[in-house]
Amino acid sequence: MEHVVLELGLAVALIALAGLLSTKLRFSVIPFYILVGMAVGPHAPKFGNFDFRFIHSAELIELLGRLGVLFLLFYLGLEFSVGRLIKAGKSIAIGGTIYIVINFTLGLLFGFGAGLPLQEVLIIAGITSISSSAIVAKVLVDLKRTANAETEMILGIIMFEDIFLAVYISVLSGLVLSGASSIGGVLLSAAIALGYMLLFIVVGRKALPLLNKLFNIRSNELFLLAVFALLFIVAGFSETIHVAEAIGALLVGLVLAETEHMKRIEHLILPFRDFFGALFFFSFGLTIDPFSLGGAVWLSLGAVVITLIGNYVAGMLAGRSAGLSPKASSNIGLTIVSRGEFSIIIANLGKAGGLLPILQPFSALYVLILAILGPLLTKESKHVYNFLNRIFKLDRNYKKQLAAKTEVKRVEDPS
Amino acid sequence: MKQIRDCDLPGIGHKYVIETRSEDKLVIIIHDDGRRELYHFDHEDPDDSISMITLDDDEARQIAGIVGGLAYKPKALEKIEVALDELIIEWYKIEPHAVCVGKTIGEINVRHQSGATIIAMLGKDNERIINPGPDSVLKAHSTLVVAGERQQIMNLKQILMNGE
Repeated sequence: MEHVVLELGLAVALIALAGLLSTKLRFSVIPFYILVGMAVGPHAPKFGNFDFRFIHSAELIELLGRLGVLFLLFYLGLEFSVGRLIKAGKSIAIGGTIYIVINFTLGLLFGFGAGLPLQEVLIIAGITSISSSAIVAKVLVDLKRTANAETEMILGIIMFEDIFLAVYISVLSGLVLSGASSIGGVLLSAAIALGYMLLFIVVGRKALPLLNKLFNIRSNELFLLAVFALLFIVAGFSETIHVAEAIGALLVGLVLAETEHMKRIEHLILPFRDFFGALFFFSFGLTIDPFSLGGAVWLSLGAVVITLIGNYVAGMLAGRSAGLSPKASSNIGLTIVSRGEFSIIIANLGKAGGLLPILQPFSALYVLILAILGPLLTKESKHVYNFLNRIFKLDRNYKKQLAAKTEVKRVEDPS
Repeated sequence: MKQIRDCDLPGIGHKYVIETRSEDKLVIIIHDDGRRELYHFDHEDPDDSISMITLDDDEARQIAGIVGGLAYKPKALEKIEVALDELIIEWYKIEPHAVCVGKTIGEINVRHQSGATIIAMLGKDNERIINPGPDSVLKAHSTLVVAGERQQIMNLKQILMNGE
């Protein structure tokens, strides 16, 4: 451990280079972080004296990556607001439900079809259900799609998924981490996890005036320390009662979002989320043995195909329910197909629970493929739509509707 | 304008959809990082925007001033209003039968009575007085540029018209 700072420096330099390369190629950064992690992991080959394998610092990097998950989820909690969701409206609740039901069911069927045990199937269904907020939001901004009609629906579905993620991780962590084997034990641990979340939010709401006062600190340094202390203590404590750390971090975010200091916290925490988040993807790559990927190829490809179909169908249905054109609906499915941070967080939960090791290479390949394919499909959505439209005549009904509408207009307004 | 619809784009910013009387659709996105994007959509095909402009915060403010008529006042309009938070700047034309015509600003004691301030006076004959003093005379058909809160400006108009 003598050159640990140097190793860390090299690791960060590699991550930065991967990031620069990906922006040059106009790709999402997430797959690049994972790939560079895989390239220098303990399983990578060694070239003579040049040993780029990050073995000494692996533990440290893993810890920093773990902090990355906490910051990612903490930020998610800060950004999330029930008021926003209610304002977003009914169409999004319908769209989100359609999306989750289709994707989750397909994930379950796929897992059982592959002949995996229940806990592994639940992890796989989680991995395939939840798309990456980071990639989707970035792609929308990069491709200048923010003004499009379907964008609200896409962001609404992502928000909806975030809630699903929170509830699902809490249930799943109760189930996987507690090691309960009987159905009663499983239900009990899931109930404990959910009860803990509810209790935390209720107590947090009641303690709002106190929190407002407590965080009324002028010095940025002390303010940051106070926020971090709360974040790490709650996250760490959650783990002692078999609730995932990530959920603890999310809860702290949800509670602090209600305080008057929300904007300041958000502002201060953002650089930490970016830095540790990048290390998180890198450290995930480190844990993957590139030679173990072979065993997961068919499983991952199968899941990718099912996700593509499921997302497209869900997008078309969600779009139609909100009265969007088939082209806009097609954009929904093609945009939210990107998978990233949340899939990996769920995969890590499987690792923490000591489930089958195939989950790691499976999720790595799956995320790599969809994190690259998703933004590409979004970019080329026009061509994908035109192609599929030629086969399935997606706009058949819509054209009829439009024709009927203009007919009505003409009758009303003879000019 | 037919209607303005706005909504949050979580993680990105805020969106305004404006449909103009001339049947153009304009979408303005205010990003959380301060960037503004203006999109123009075709009325017939609302799926793709025809054109778009990206502006930085300072550019956006400058352009807002130009579009809002701060830099050049369109001749056809008698009254323009610019609102900066509570503060409103307004153009007000003195009608020939107003009580204040022929009096000086000091005489009617504008600022003291209403709270609003006259920033500039533009005479009919292109005579311009910036920051007129208490002995400037108010003339019929001149345009006043006044600043203040809404209520103060209403008081000011009342005083100019009726003397109280």
